[in-house]
Amino acid sequence: MIRLVRAELQKVFTTRMVWGMLALSLGFTAIGLVALSILSGGQGAPSLSEPDGVRNLFSQAGSGLVFAFVIGTLLITGEYRFQTITHTFLVTPRRQRVVGAKLVACAIVGTFFGLAGIALAFAVGVPAMLIKGASLSLIGADVARVCAGTVAAMALYTILGLALGSLLRNQVAAIVVGIGWVYVLENLLVALLPSVGKWLPGGAAQAVYGVSSPLGGGYLPAWAGAALLIGYAALFATVASVTTIRRDIT
Amino acid sequence: MAAIEIRNLTKSFGAVRAVNDVSFTVAAGTVTGYLGPNGAGKTTTLRSLLGLVTPDSGQALVNGRRYADLVAPLTEVGAVLEATSFHPGRTARNHLRVLCTAAGLPDVRADESLDQVGLAGDAGKRVAGFSLGMRQRLALATALIGKPKILILDEPANGLDPAGIQWLRGFLRFLADDQGCAVLVSSHVLAEVEQTVDNVVIIAQGRMIRQGTLAELTSDGDRGVRVAGAEVQRLRARLEAAGATVESPESGVLLVHGAPPETVGQAALDEGVVLSELVRRRSDLERVFLELTGEPADAPPEGGGGVATAEAVPAVTETSGGAR
Repeated sequence: MIRLVRAELQKVFTTRMVWGMLALSLGFTAIGLVALSILSGGQGAPSLSEPDGVRNLFSQAGSGLVFAFVIGTLLITGEYRFQTITHTFLVTPRRQRVVGAKLVACAIVGTFFGLAGIALAFAVGVPAMLIKGASLSLIGADVARVCAGTVAAMALYTILGLALGSLLRNQVAAIVVGIGWVYVLENLLVALLPSVGKWLPGGAAQAVYGVSSPLGGGYLPAWAGAALLIGYAALFATVASVTTIRRDIT
Repeated sequence: MAAIEIRNLTKSFGAVRAVNDVSFTVAAGTVTGYLGPNGAGKTTTLRSLLGLVTPDSGQALVNGRRYADLVAPLTEVGAVLEATSFHPGRTARNHLRVLCTAAGLPDVRADESLDQVGLAGDAGKRVAGFSLGMRQRLALATALIGKPKILILDEPANGLDPAGIQWLRGFLRFLADDQGCAVLVSSHVLAEVEQTVDNVVIIAQGRMIRQGTLAELTSDGDRGVRVAGAEVQRLRARLEAAGATVESPESGVLLVHGAPPETVGQAALDEGVVLSELVRRRSDLERVFLELTGEPADAPPEGGGGVATAEAVPAVTETSGGAR
């Protein structure tokens, strides 16, 4: 099983796509970090001298979620698109092992994206706080929670991408549906219908971050958010397995 | 136990019965051509054999087991399916290394396989820049990576240039003769495999039409002895006296049915007639194939015409008859 996970990671890291997605993800994080650093303390944005401001700043580490999602999608739709799925199943005819390896690989890649985002957040956030004259002692349990939430959300969204890709198989369709969901539908629901939105993956991730909702609606407690994320991961993993194992590869 | 065994295999896709009750075996050390027109069910059969397609009924076994039950499948069976099944952004070497990792084979097998198919110099190139022929070679390299004793190839000659096809023929013979592999190779173009295969299985519209050795199949198409020479008409009476039917499609040429070439040669010797040609005509595989699969042949079979092949030189197609 370990060698199958290694093979899946090899697939991800032997194409240039993963670096492009990582660059985009970090780019989004960088824009968020710079914008928040400049705007903090101004209208409506909590200052970097307050715990809320610091938490919001570091939560930018996870703003490239959608790119982790895309990498997860590509890990399966790329196989169908380029028909490498044939080779994959010839090496490992027991397909549930392939699905399992892909799920683990997605979690690892997502974690990698999350850690990269966190590193960037510290690289930009700490100097920004120093420039604004804020005390670094504000980086405490809140920020640790944000970081854990970022990693969890990144891993989950990569798995979500894998699941949606397994279901749809068409690369473009999966990416369009995924981005539409992450950027439009889910954001709208979380913002406008918080009673529904807090139960969605995005709402659950926000709950783990502990970031205040823009419109004041409540999120689940952090532990419930974490449990919900794990539940979603299990659901997506099941979708990925069921749609992959029985299908004829023609 | 046969290396490859297909037993009463049936598979439908929706209302289309792609493969209908097909059975055949392939023994170690032989090359079997799996022939049929496009859409005959060849690919579905091969994919069932490889566990990629689940048959509705019947069995497709390699070394007596289902592919999915093999512990280390790449070391037992190598397969070449579509030519395009590579990620364009990944290099040839990395493609093979991913397979090595997943199969637990040493990384060095990647370069060894590339070397075996003549791609050693292109190992570090992205597949996007590969020609169709190079992709076919890379596909063959993926099949060889675990040093399997069974090879299953679906239309491997597609996209190869004439030199590549010749190389492939030699390579398949090498695998069967020197390495003792069982090779199953599908094709819709007979000329590609005719000189390579020992046995032939012909399929059309999902049904198996014929199975046998190459010689068995082509001998079905015995179409007489052709004898040519300026004074060949002088043989006629003697041959007819020997019980043969003789026709003369053009001046200086006789077509003799019902007598072996030896009888014709003896007649020429007795009569003192100079011959410029004496061959047993038999249908080549192409014609047998077209007749069996119900495809319209390109020339009428009678009248000494069409595409016939001399026994002595099977590769040379005779066109001097009534093909005009």
